[in-house]
Amino acid sequence: MCGILAVLGCSDDSQAKRVRVLELSRRLKHRGPDWSGLYQHGDFYLAHQRLAIIDPASGDQPLFNEDKRIVVTVNGEIYNHEQLRKSLPNHKFRTGSDCDVIAHLYEEHGENFVDMLDGMFSFVLLDTRDNSFIVARDAIGITSLYIGWGLDGSVWISSELKGLHDDCEHFEVFPPGHLYSSKNGGLRRWYNPPWFSEAIPSTPYEPLVLRRAFENAVIKRLMTDVPFGVLLSGGLDSSLVAAITARYLAGTKAAKQWGAQLHSFCVGLEGSPDLKAAKEVSDYLGTVHHEFHFTVQDGIDAIEDVIHHIETYDVTTIRASTPMFLMSRKIKSLGVKMVISGEGSDEIFGGYLYFHKAPNKEEFHRETCRKIKALHQYDCLRANKATSAWGVEARVPFLDKEFINVAMSIDPESKMIKPGEGRIEKWILRRAFDDEEHPYLPKHILYRQKEQFSDGVGYSWIDGLKAHAELHVTDKMMLNAEHIFPHNTPTTKEAYYYRTIFERSFPQNSASLTVPGGASVACSTAKAIEWDASWSKNLDPSGRAAVGVHNSAYEELLPPVANGNLAPTMIDDVPRMVGIPAKELTIQS
Amino acid sequence: MCGILAVFGCIDNSQAKRSRIIELSRRLRHRGPDWSGLHCHQDCYLAHQRLAIIDPTSGDQPLYNEDKTIIVTVNGEIYNHKALREKLKSHQFRTGSDCEVIAHLYEEYGEDFVDMLDGMFSFVLLDTRDKSFIAARDAIGITPLYMGWGLDGSVWFASEMKALSDDCERFMSFPPGHVYSSKRGGLQRWYNPAWYSEQIPTTPYDSLVLRKAFEKAVVKRLMTDVPFGVLLSGGLDSSLVAAVACRYLSESEAACQWGSQLHTFCIGLKGSPDLKAAREVADYLGTRHHEFHFTVQEGIDALEEVIYHVETYDVTTIRASTPMFLMSRKIKSLGVKMVLSGEGSDEIFGGYLYFHKAPNKEEFHQETCRKIKALHLYDCLRANKSTSAWGVEARVPFLDKEFINVAMGIDPEWKMVRPDLGRIEKWVLRYAFDDDQNPYLPKHILYRQKEQFSDGVGYSWIDSLRDHANQQVTDTMLANASFIYPENTPTTKEGYYYRAIFEKFFPKNAARSTVPGGPSVACSTAKAVEWDAAWSKNLDPSGRAALGVHLAAYEDAKESKMTASETSLQKLQAEKTTVAV
Repeated sequence: MCGILAVLGCSDDSQAKRVRVLELSRRLKHRGPDWSGLYQHGDFYLAHQRLAIIDPASGDQPLFNEDKRIVVTVNGEIYNHEQLRKSLPNHKFRTGSDCDVIAHLYEEHGENFVDMLDGMFSFVLLDTRDNSFIVARDAIGITSLYIGWGLDGSVWISSELKGLHDDCEHFEVFPPGHLYSSKNGGLRRWYNPPWFSEAIPSTPYEPLVLRRAFENAVIKRLMTDVPFGVLLSGGLDSSLVAAITARYLAGTKAAKQWGAQLHSFCVGLEGSPDLKAAKEVSDYLGTVHHEFHFTVQDGIDAIEDVIHHIETYDVTTIRASTPMFLMSRKIKSLGVKMVISGEGSDEIFGGYLYFHKAPNKEEFHRETCRKIKALHQYDCLRANKATSAWGVEARVPFLDKEFINVAMSIDPESKMIKPGEGRIEKWILRRAFDDEEHPYLPKHILYRQKEQFSDGVGYSWIDGLKAHAELHVTDKMMLNAEHIFPHNTPTTKEAYYYRTIFERSFPQNSASLTVPGGASVACSTAKAIEWDASWSKNLDPSGRAAVGVHNSAYEELLPPVANGNLAPTMIDDVPRMVGIPAKELTIQS
Repeated sequence: MCGILAVFGCIDNSQAKRSRIIELSRRLRHRGPDWSGLHCHQDCYLAHQRLAIIDPTSGDQPLYNEDKTIIVTVNGEIYNHKALREKLKSHQFRTGSDCEVIAHLYEEYGEDFVDMLDGMFSFVLLDTRDKSFIAARDAIGITPLYMGWGLDGSVWFASEMKALSDDCERFMSFPPGHVYSSKRGGLQRWYNPAWYSEQIPTTPYDSLVLRKAFEKAVVKRLMTDVPFGVLLSGGLDSSLVAAVACRYLSESEAACQWGSQLHTFCIGLKGSPDLKAAREVADYLGTRHHEFHFTVQEGIDALEEVIYHVETYDVTTIRASTPMFLMSRKIKSLGVKMVLSGEGSDEIFGGYLYFHKAPNKEEFHQETCRKIKALHLYDCLRANKSTSAWGVEARVPFLDKEFINVAMGIDPEWKMVRPDLGRIEKWVLRYAFDDDQNPYLPKHILYRQKEQFSDGVGYSWIDSLRDHANQQVTDTMLANASFIYPENTPTTKEGYYYRAIFEKFFPKNAARSTVPGGPSVACSTAKAVEWDAAWSKNLDPSGRAALGVHLAAYEDAKESKMTASETSLQKLQAEKTTVAV
């Protein structure tokens, strides 16, 4: 990842302003530790902090077209850049950077080229001929991006909130799949796949098509000029990513430079389920496996830093981000700059436990659509910022545009969970990689049940967090919570604790509005709460309503959590597993 | 390098205090990006940000003795740790870290073990049995260390000022070669080499002895578990480091892990003299050479960050730190964590041009002693903090304790610049590596005249800095400088510009006192200004006073790389500005 910051039309071209922009850009230095650049054209500033993954020697940014009249600052990876270059035969490229194509595509196609890009990206492009500019963010919002407005009439764009929040009167999340054009004066969605309308698709499930689509998505992401690895929790999603990478690594350019043995990484408290599961998978695949252990105290000590980096007060996101944040530091210290990770699968295939209660395939499908649309505020945000905090780039093959098209066009009937037919959640994904002759994974791993919550890193992690918050937030504080935090009022001490830290870093009203809230049961959207009368009747935001339902279903499966409470707020969405045979799972209706 | 922070006796042991210490420790994270640790014992905190060079997998800090009653947080490298471990046979070590010996040495020898350590280090050690603590800094001050006092009676130690300046009422640079003991309640110098008294030594110059001593100093510094390289400006000092490292690399442990081709790094404006000279040396040695180009604008854009990191307003230090700072970022981005660098040679051998005017060997020698003692405020500070800003560690073989003893034991008559005998500056060093049969460097490089100051990175660098400052600082501002900055008053717009940035980051009185000032000509100490009547009479901060003198001395010695006026003017303007009149 890189960090971008643009200040557009601020009516100030003084040295003081330049110094200020440099200072703000430095707040994004963790995202791009390798080099920085600032382009100034009158009162337009485009700043860049670079993490060099492709063409480390010459790809410093901002990037230009031939005559330097078009300037681009980009955070991202364009996987089809070689193909795009070929489609621009009369253009001369200045660097080998994958992002170099953007300026030239604009020259060739005007503002309507964004959908041609295959990858994850946010960019700002300035056309100095008429001082117009465009800004765009990738389809799903894998890369983070914010937009803000200054009182001086300036428009601000930044990879992270911390790059602009102090200097803007108002700011928002830049919506994924959108394009901002200064000429049209507004935002427009460029990403228009069939699934976006939430109409129910009817293509029959074809395991080989799905398999091929996912393999392509992974292979595409092996494009790198630097050492890389795979985040391996031992769950289905990360194990599949690792299995495919291990299988196809040998043929790639990356393997020639960095060796054909794959590195895999896992984090957990000592003796945690994830560590055990990941070890098993890595042994099977023969990866060079790295285990990182952290203590609850390490995690608690990191919380402020995590919230400052992730820029959220969402409880489950913070819980899950912390181990990922700690692990990323260790990964970086090994010299690894890029990792492939398994985010997105649970949204696309309905992998969360509450999907068991989906009343019909229509509801099931629409909920997956809603979940994918919200990804940029949850798992994408976590995966991107937790790794970028240490200059590590996370790539997420499940969120490949092509793969999503394939997976979201399958008749949702086949995604439905049917314990009677032995179909556990994400069954179509599992089945797609169930290859008897050349197994990707051993069967018991392929069909292993998902471990929900952040328990995978160790059972005492969430308990430790809650106990810590309990010590530092009084009952009296909680009584006044709705007055202090009228928007997204924290309802638990843990949430209050995180919120206080968030507000210290980001005190503006606009900042608290960038974080999602609202009713949820076990990570569901507000809409899915209607699936169960007992949920909607009891909209306790702590999600305790769901506990009655889920408790009995899962009590016997999951190791006990202290106080007999399952993570009360929302069920965490990091994929993880325990070794429980599928058939034992029953849902009590 | 790593970053350390320790606080003792701060009354408060609340969660808020712990959070505050963590926050302050994070300000040192650039020094140790790989991991962090915090040990809290009642009202004592020892924090650490780690750059893992030796034993990356298990050496996380703080470190402990066997029963965890002794806790140490260390920034540094102990080159003789294996030998020391041998001496501590009855001790059980928890990690492979070179710094772990410190806890065990303390157990064995009490507070008087510091001189046994061979390396660069700053550390803080807490003995929980009686809650006493000691803090120490290496002989020359290669690693930075600051000490401060809080109003609550707390004592603070930090690798960089930024970690304690906001929370201490008073603070200062921790003197190099000293140890602070809470039991004794004060500082004591542990470093007592023969040269320290500034008496004139009499050992005759023996070129082979000097060569061996330097080779040993370099070889010792090849101890690493991570990729490394050499900073190569193409000057004598860095070229010698590269030549020796190259020669011995293949026998070292590091070579087995990282390959035996040495990586070298050079930075400059496009077409600069350093780039050319370094390329020539790299070609001769067959190193894997990396050239980095920066633009004047990139350098100017980095100034605020450089001053924040290097924590000084000294003009020449800032000029020289900026390219080194930019280069370190690029070096780090290549995955290299450690570099060898040539600092210290000019001080030990009197390599600065003003040494030509040393009236006699006594004065010459005493000036070298004074320069070495001040290194921690100038070149050590620059080399350490410019590289540490990006998590790169700089090792400086010229400042090896043993090597200094040898080099400073030589009768200074030999070091004197004697054009009549064909001895240019640093002749004893050049001659020591003049090996006809197995040459370290080609003769013309070995005997190449020093390019002084920051000109090597490109002639327009210093000019542009001055132009930039002239645009930002008005005459009125400079006229009022003595009222705004009564201490170490800036006398040039460039000095004023840097000072204003420094004050923004470090507004306290104590902070400005950590930076040296005083009259100087061409990097001399205040004392050496007496060497020439023309200098002392005319303390022009730009050093123009020295112009007339130097021009003549150098015109013939220097191969005309530039026109005479250009050379001397830039050279002298590049000098350390004379501060305070």
